[in-house]
Amino acid sequence: MVRKWIDYKTEAWVQWCPGCGDFGILNAIYRALAELDIDPSKLVIVGGIGCSSRSVYYIKANAIHTIHGRAIPVASGVKLANPELTVVVTGGDGDLLGIGGGHFVALGRRNIDMTVVVYDNGVYGLTKGQAGPTLPVWLKTKALPHPNIQGSVNPLLLAFAAGYTFIARGYAFHLNQLKDLIKAAIQHRGAAVVDVLQPCPTYNDIMTNEWYEKRIYYLSEDSSWDPVVRSPQELKEKAPKILEKMMEFEDRIPLGIFYQNTYMETLEERLEKLMPGYLSSPPGRRPVTKPLAHPFELFKDKVVQV
Amino acid sequence: MTDVSLIIGGPQGGGIESAGQVVIRALVAKGFNVIGTREYHSNIMGAHSYFHLRFTDKPARALRLPVELVVALDAESALTHVWDVSGKGFFVYDADSKDQDAGRIASMELSLKKRLKETLGPKGGATVGNAVRLVEERGATPIGLPLKALLKKVSDETASPLAAIAKTINVMGLAAGLYLLGIEYNYIAKGIELQFGGRPKVLKPNLVAAKVAVDYVEANYGKQRALPDGPHKGRRRMLASGNDIVAMGKVVGGLTFQTFYPITPSSDEAFYVEENMYVDVNGSKASIVVLQAEDELAAVNMILGAAAAGARASTSTSGPGFSLMNEAISMAVMAEIPIVISLWMRAGPSTGIATRQGQQDLLHAIFAGHGDTPKIVVASGDHREAFYDAIKTLNWAEEFQTPVIHLLDKYLAATITVLDEWELDVSKLEIKRGKREEAPGNDYKRYEITEDGISPMAPLGKVPMLVSSLEHDEYGMVTEDPVDREEMVMKRLRKWRTIANSIPEEEKLVLHGDPDARVTLISFGSTKQAILSAMEDLAASGIDVNFLQFRILSPFPAETASKILERSEKIIGVEANFQDQLSFLLRAHTGIYVPYRVRKVNARPLYDSEVVHAVEKIVKEGAREVVVSSGA
Repeated sequence: MVRKWIDYKTEAWVQWCPGCGDFGILNAIYRALAELDIDPSKLVIVGGIGCSSRSVYYIKANAIHTIHGRAIPVASGVKLANPELTVVVTGGDGDLLGIGGGHFVALGRRNIDMTVVVYDNGVYGLTKGQAGPTLPVWLKTKALPHPNIQGSVNPLLLAFAAGYTFIARGYAFHLNQLKDLIKAAIQHRGAAVVDVLQPCPTYNDIMTNEWYEKRIYYLSEDSSWDPVVRSPQELKEKAPKILEKMMEFEDRIPLGIFYQNTYMETLEERLEKLMPGYLSSPPGRRPVTKPLAHPFELFKDKVVQV
Repeated sequence: MTDVSLIIGGPQGGGIESAGQVVIRALVAKGFNVIGTREYHSNIMGAHSYFHLRFTDKPARALRLPVELVVALDAESALTHVWDVSGKGFFVYDADSKDQDAGRIASMELSLKKRLKETLGPKGGATVGNAVRLVEERGATPIGLPLKALLKKVSDETASPLAAIAKTINVMGLAAGLYLLGIEYNYIAKGIELQFGGRPKVLKPNLVAAKVAVDYVEANYGKQRALPDGPHKGRRRMLASGNDIVAMGKVVGGLTFQTFYPITPSSDEAFYVEENMYVDVNGSKASIVVLQAEDELAAVNMILGAAAAGARASTSTSGPGFSLMNEAISMAVMAEIPIVISLWMRAGPSTGIATRQGQQDLLHAIFAGHGDTPKIVVASGDHREAFYDAIKTLNWAEEFQTPVIHLLDKYLAATITVLDEWELDVSKLEIKRGKREEAPGNDYKRYEITEDGISPMAPLGKVPMLVSSLEHDEYGMVTEDPVDREEMVMKRLRKWRTIANSIPEEEKLVLHGDPDARVTLISFGSTKQAILSAMEDLAASGIDVNFLQFRILSPFPAETASKILERSEKIIGVEANFQDQLSFLLRAHTGIYVPYRVRKVNARPLYDSEVVHAVEKIVKEGAREVVVSSGA
């Protein structure tokens, strides 16, 4: 069966403000899922709290709406309990990089095979526009009483330092390009992050669609750009250029795949090495019907015969 | 009849842990029941720590002070335990440490130095020598071991350099002490073999050290009369700490996913699950994913995800970590996800005393989570209960799709006890997974309205479905509609009633002793065995008390508790906290006020001896509140 994007749309009313970048991201996700023909029964969307996290209600899947900042650990639990599922986290920059920043880092370290889509607009929309962790310092949006005095985090550099094996950046209203990035992220084996720049037309009156369009360009415009790293040696060679591109965020903002590591093993693969059979009988599917055995049989190191 | 207690103390990192393990094994070999716990500082090396044990023909229920033997491997131990040895006991110390003064011991607490100065000042100063004089005056027998000379002997006999065998000092001390108590060398050697058997290089010098120490005592203090063997010689028995036994319960009970973030005193539980994450059962392997999380927020949220995906999941923590888990517990109630949290209480508030005992998190457990979030809270009284509770909590979590808090504490965590095969019988135990739905239809409603408030639960990955921490309708779709809201709140209420009605009353509370006794002690958790042991002594001195042990604190067994307590003339609450947390709950649920209290707040275990003393003070002298303060 070949699915269409509409097959992933639920009947729920999408309650974002007109012009919100979230619409673009949601549409790109629908299309990526359709092109990959992912069975909604085997797809898990996990959201935190915030405007963007509501995506869980709009995508036909197994969806979990969690608590603020905790989408990544909940999603990690899902994936490790049943590795056959495709797991996608949707959340804002505040949710994933602010209150949930520690988990964002830990996912990179673990390299669990799942995708994190950061709806990155620099503001906390649902609570009326406070500064988010990616809002540049000294910017004064109309929602802020004073300019932002806290610096911003660079999601790509953070992801790279943490160990994500797929790092990309897209733009919310470039539907086709974004769809391809999300598709590549889902197809990637390992922890993938797609940082999606998006306007918040209601609260961020500086980083508008025009603001972004003036600055963004694609890495792939340079035909020699190759973000794929297949060995530690190749990583060493390519890292300086990758980092240079990740740091470019002023007059020019690059989009596309910055880094893809194809040799790093996933946590699931490490678990399978540690416990052969884990993947075929993972925690969510292992039959549990009766007590395993008498403790004297199982825990012989604690039994003393004298 | 044998009923003997002992303390063996020394610097942390100096082999106190393995000394305790050797002693327990020697005593089990000799046929006794044993209970032993380790008291230690939040420190890796140098601070004082000690093992406190009791061995007896009878069930070894609880620890007792004073003890019949103190083995002090260094000056700090000799000084610290000067008050702990009984008038008929032995006080084994390092003869070379006699001149050492408390004032010069860097690792000793300042106020202990002051107390020692007050006690020993009149004798000329807080030295080990004066401590020895004091215990001697009280009737105990001091035994000064010339440890340096004995070590030299071990070095000669094993042809090893001193530095290589210096660590055997702990075994020398325990061997001398056990021999004085009437434990023959062959049992001491057996204990050493059981502990170090796998490491021949360690085994040999330790056996020699034990022999050298025993020979020294015999040569200088005469041949000691051997104790009659205990009644359990030759039996297969298990030695397990509370941490171990909960881990065992979880593994046996079908746990498939466990997370943790390192925190005392819970880590060893997760550690033992991890050791057994891949066990062989009838030729095939059962695997458990055990994952160290980046913090307790992740630890609990990961099990929410895993459980939603069908895992039988738990995490373990202590008070500070549990504080971080509060929001996720609330989500578990709202999203109806089955999780078990083992909460190993320690002395708070805040970081408090991380390695010491407390029962201060009962109300925290009951009230954890915002927004009407009842949950099951179970408190285990001893190792056996903890084992079965570990299985039952997993069952209840899945049966009722709810968070379950398994309340334990540092004393249980660190206490090793001896268990017989029949005590851990799992043949009649069932694994319950509740209304687990493996084949949901296309119109599956995760939160279907049902009469008992429990909806069929399909694991993620079957059909599209919604699991939501927001208020939702039957499908899990977010809603703010007042009718939907009320319907869902009432569903959760019906579920809570189902939980309260489904768990049998006899699981919720246990009345120990004479139902007609006029005095009733009430308590929860690890005070159980100290109280039971104290009741035997109280009965012997003519005070008839019974003991109402609260096993399940939520849902609270209000009616049964009322009926039992109505018959009592005097209710005494026994708790290791200052808010009288159990009494508070009892009054909230039943209106019954508990006017008498025994309070233990010095962050040490409750000893049976002090329960006896406190109850006597209340019953005979009319005291209202007794603060019991034993323990070094």
